[in-house]
Parts: sequence; C-alpha cells; structure tokens
Amino acid sequence: MSIGLAFSVFFKVLGNRDFAGRLTEWMARPAIPEPKAAAPKPDAPRRTEAIELLATLQREGRLVDFLQEKLDGYSDAQVGAAVRDIHRDCRATVQRLFGIEPLVAQAEGSTISLPATPDPGLWKLTGRVGQGSQGRLCHPGWKITRHDLPAWSGSDAAARVIAPADVEIT
Amino acid sequence: MSTATYSIGIDLGTTNSALAFVALDDPSARVQLLDIPQHVTATSTEARPLLPSFTYLPPEDTGSTALVGLFARTQSADVPTRTIAAAKSWLCHTRVDRHQPILPWNAPADVHKRSPVEVSALYLRHLVAAWNQQFPDTPFAHQHVTLTVPASFDASARDLTREAAASAGFPGDFVLLEEPQAALYAWLAARGDTWRKDLRVGDLILVCDVGGGTTDLTLIAVREQDGDLELARLAVGNHILVGGDNMDLALAFTAQHLFKDKGHDLDPWQSVSLWHACRAAKESLLAADGPASHPVTILGRGSRVIGGAISVDLTRDQVQATLGDGFFPACALSDKPAKRPASGFKQLGLPYESDTAITRHLARFLSDHGDDGQPAARPPRLLFNGGVFKAAALKQRVRDSFRTWFGDDGVPAVLAGEEDLDFAVARGAAFYGQAKRQGGVRIRGGTARAYYIGIETAGLAVPGAPRPLHALCVVPHGMEEGTATSVPGEEIGLVVGEPVHFRFFSSATRTTDRPGDLLTRWADGELEETDPLEMSLAAAENAEGGYVPVTIETRITELGTLELWCASTVSAEKWKLEFSVREQE
Repeated sequence: MSIGLAFSVFFKVLGNRDFAGRLTEWMARPAIPEPKAAAPKPDAPRRTEAIELLATLQREGRLVDFLQEKLDGYSDAQVGAAVRDIHRDCRATVQRLFGIEPLVAQAEGSTISLPATPDPGLWKLTGRVGQGSQGRLCHPGWKITRHDLPAWSGSDAAARVIAPADVEIT
Repeated sequence: MSTATYSIGIDLGTTNSALAFVALDDPSARVQLLDIPQHVTATSTEARPLLPSFTYLPPEDTGSTALVGLFARTQSADVPTRTIAAAKSWLCHTRVDRHQPILPWNAPADVHKRSPVEVSALYLRHLVAAWNQQFPDTPFAHQHVTLTVPASFDASARDLTREAAASAGFPGDFVLLEEPQAALYAWLAARGDTWRKDLRVGDLILVCDVGGGTTDLTLIAVREQDGDLELARLAVGNHILVGGDNMDLALAFTAQHLFKDKGHDLDPWQSVSLWHACRAAKESLLAADGPASHPVTILGRGSRVIGGAISVDLTRDQVQATLGDGFFPACALSDKPAKRPASGFKQLGLPYESDTAITRHLARFLSDHGDDGQPAARPPRLLFNGGVFKAAALKQRVRDSFRTWFGDDGVPAVLAGEEDLDFAVARGAAFYGQAKRQGGVRIRGGTARAYYIGIETAGLAVPGAPRPLHALCVVPHGMEEGTATSVPGEEIGLVVGEPVHFRFFSSATRTTDRPGDLLTRWADGELEETDPLEMSLAAAENAEGGYVPVTIETRITELGTLELWCASTVSAEKWKLEFSVREQE
C-alpha cells in the first residue's frame, strides 16, 4: 500500500501544481507540533508513607506476596500453614508501628453512653438514631497510639519499589 | 560531671545493645528506653529500642560505610562474609590481637576488616549519635554514663571496653558495671522501697544471666550495715561462652533435620527464617501452659509465598530434649563441665564452650563458693536475666536442678516482679547511675577476681622443662573502686632498654589471698591466664647494672578498670604496665 500511495502522490505532484504547493508547505512544517501549553508533568517519583508501609509489611510479613498470589489450587491446610506466619509477622509489624488499641475500653456487647453530640468519626450509630444517648457496643473500634513509619533514604528510581528484586550472586 | 542532666545506662550486648536513661534531678523519674534509629533495609531507617550488635561492611565501590543494627543482622544471613557478629565475645579472646582487623573472621581478602575494639566502638558511637540527635541540648559527653560488661570479663577485656568507649565519645568519668549487678538494680528499681521487705539479712541471691552469647553467674549477699540492709557481690563465675544464640541454633538444627526427613534441603537463606520461626516456636512451646506442638513454616523465597511454603511440626518433647537436655540437663552438684579435648591444632574462631550444659557450669560455680564448711553455696533467692528465660520451662529446669542438689527446701525463691528480660541490664545501669549520684542503694563488691603476676623462679634450668612458675598476688579479691595498694615483698628488678613482659593471671575462686602472697602451687583451673603485661623502659634511665629495682603498685580506677604501676625504689619515678592484647603463643 505504501508503494501504491507513493506512486499516486508522485504522479499527482507531477500533474497538479496546486497539490504540489500544498505538499511542499506541509513537508516544511516542524516535525513535532509544539503543544499550546505544557502538558502536566507526571508526578516526580515520591516515597509516600503508604508505599513505605506496604514495603515494610512485605519485608517483615510477606503481605504483598500473599495478596498477589492466587489461592486457587491450594488446600486450606496449605494456605493456613503460610498464613499463620504471615499473620504473626504482619501483626507484630503493625503493632510496633502503630500500637493499635481498641478505641473504646468497654467490652463488646455492653451498654455504652454516648456524648451529647457524637463525632461521626468516632461513633458509627445504627438503629434508632436520634432517640436516646445509650446503646449496645457492637464493635469497640480501633485507634492507633503511635505513628512510627521507617524513614526513606533511597533513590528516586526506587521510590515506588515495594520489594527490590532479589538476586543471589553465584 | 556537675552538668549532667541524665543518668544513661548502656548495655553493649553480644547480640543486642540498648540504651536506657533517667533524669537525675527528679527522684520520681522513671527509667526510659531510647529509640535508636537504624537501617532496617539499605534504604529505610526506623527507630527501635534494641540495636542488634551486628555490622555490615558493604563493598567499597558502593561508597557506603559500615552499617550497624537490624539491617546488618539481616545481612548476616544473606551476606555472611561481610557481616560481623559477636564482636564482644572476641574482646575477651586472649589468643588473638584485638586491635588487629580480624573481623569478619575468615572473610575474603576484598573485605575491609575491622578490629574487635573498633567494632565495639562502632556500636557505642551509634548509640552516642542517637542520643545527641534526640537530646541536642544535653549532649552525651556531659551526661552521667554507665556501661555494662559481663561480670566474667577480666581486667584486660574491661580495659579494651574502656578504650572502645573512650574513642566513641564517652565522657571521661563514665563507669563500668557488671551485667548481673545491673539486672539486680533493675529489679530494685522496679520494686522501689519495698525491696527491703523482700530480702532478709543473710540472704544470698544468685543472678543467673544467660545472654545471647554468654552465661554470667553472680552471687550477691544481703548484709546489715548500720541497721540498714546492704548488698555485697561475693563471687562471679568464669567466662562461659554459651548463650541463647547457641540454643536457637541447636533448635534450628533439629528442625532442619525434620525438614530433611520430609525431603526438603534448606538453603542458607531459608535457615534465617528457620531461626526466626524456631525462636517463636520455642517461646510458645516452653511457655507455662504451652501447646504440645507448634508448626514451623518456611515461606518460599520467590514471590509464591504459599506455594513455596514448607512446614513441619515441632513438638514440646523435641524442644525439651534439644534445649532442656542439651543446655539444662540434670546433673549432680559435684559434676564439672567437660573439658575440651586437647588438640594439636591452633584454635580458630571463638573458643565456644565444649560443654554447653549451663546446669553443670552452675554446679561448679556453687561448689567453688561454698562457705562455712558447706560443700557449696546455697542461695535462697534467684534472679533470672536474659531473653532465654522467656521460656518458662527453662527456668523450671534451673529450679529442678536445685531440688536435685539441695532437696525441696533448697529450691531458691525467684525474685518476683515484672520481667523485662531484654532491657533489664540497660535499665538497671541507668538506675545505678542515679542511685550513685543520689545516695540510693548500692551493691558493694570491688573486683570480682584476684590478680597475680607470674614470676619465674630462679635456680637451675632443666633442659626442655619450663622454669617453675610462681604467682604473686597483686590485687586481692574485692578490692574497691577508687583504691590503691602497694604490693609488699621483695623488690623486682626491671631490665632497662628492652620490653619487659609479665605473665598475668586471675582467679575468681581464691578469695583470701592478700597482696604480696606468693603462690607456689595452685589447684588445676584455679588460676586463669589472661593477657600479659608489658612495659618498655628507655635505656637512658639511671639504672645501676642495667636494671631498676621496683615494687608493684595497683589501683582500681573509679571507672572500674585495673592499673598496675612499677614504682622505682631508688627514685620517685613510676611506670605503668599495659595489657598486651597481641596474638599470644
């Protein structure tokens, strides 16, 4: 097709002065059109706390490996054996970094008194909402008591890396 | 120093180090732990209360310097030839020169090695930097600092520790404290003033401190002084190079065989996960109400974490057999630790104990320190220290041994209180600094050992036989810090113009020798040889007939190290003898 097109353009240029002029004009244009305004640049690679958290959970508890693996084809016993370790290590990591504690000290199922204007970020109310200031505690909630993520000192190229490629020099 | 705001206690451990501190001006202040920023990967840092005592030496061309802490510990499995572990155990290894770059031991030639003293200084410098970063207004060099050492460290190892600390930027007036004493201080700090009700005059406390690399035994007596209770350290055990790491390694070895039976050969990388998994299994299985078995799982190295996982069940009986029988076997009070079979080969690497039975070392220690005609010391109180004793069954093993030796009445009561086995030594050291400053409870003790200079006897030489050696006591057992003594007896002639060497010995068991006593014979194992002392006198000194007559003077510094001086009897001159820590024949 390109040879056909080339010949047809060749003969059209020979026989059509007007076409030849337009073609010359077209061929003299800049190779890449200048954009009217600079397109928004992609974000510079940045290490966010979220990436660092994923990296930490992967490093210490293999969490990303676990989430990325398909469970089809494994027996519950196989999954269970691996999960026990992943759970132990991820739990220890999260506990160390965040010191997770129940938001409310009261026991699940007990009756709890609400403040006058419950903050919806602290209290999730269900049932007969707006009719009374007491209720049954269905879930005591969670909160963090610390926020100690590792500090990052790697290169820009590594900012989005959760786990480096592992190579054994032989 | 009068400007100190804090008392700082540092536990420079074989496998982990920690720093605790307490405000000096506030008697109600509680001891706190410093979070120590450290590399957790090559590119991430995190603050943790424990600094693993590991050093990773990256290849020169990466431009990065030695890294200490958690990342280095991880690297010890991945890149063992570039990782230094257990530098502290090398500090007291008298057969190598501890100023020479010898670590990592057996590393290939392209690794820029470091000396044991240098590596110890690296950890201390890291702790100092962590402090200065978090407390810029109260710099480390102006605080009241206590650094702990094993009670079994001899004068030479203490001196090397002092040297490492001085080069790491410690204040000039820091002090050394024995680890088992620090553990007892931690208990005293936790009990507050009620400790006086817990102890009685005449009580004897055994501190059984099993760290990562060493086992340290100490006896402390409760006495009465001016109507108040006083604590006095009576005796310490010999340096026993066996600890929790050996146990985890033994357990990993057992588990490795279980994997092998299932057809899985583990590679070195997996063996680290194995250590980790075995330690968790040990603590679970040996807890007071632990399960009968616990799975040990090694996750796949590749990204397939479930598909690559292999698993075996470790039972409580197997762990009991490996750890209980291997490290805490039942034994008689008269049993002695088995000696290493004599070998014609030069010893390489660390001289680990040939007998790993801690109970036998304990039996020997108690037998060595019987009093008032008793065949052995019978302490009615017991304080455990070290992460090993997170496993309740191992504490029980120790108590069972006492039952075998002394009957049901002879089982010591464990000093009650909240346990903090990982940090007790650092906390206790910080508390000690505070108590020392504010006149709180002190454990008295002085030197844990008596020291002797070897004197070769004059007389006819027998071809092929060494001249008989006598030992001159220069430091008595229990000599207090900040005191000096002049050794009585005949003058010694010091040859001028050439280096003078003295063989040097110590004893943890000879408690009644006085300075000037000359021993002509001693029981096997009573005296241990340590690094020799050396000195060089310039030939220009005014010497009659090529030698200067001297007497020996000894001094225990406030810091807790030993100094020996030769004092001329014909002039006012004095020369200090230095430990020679070079490789010995």
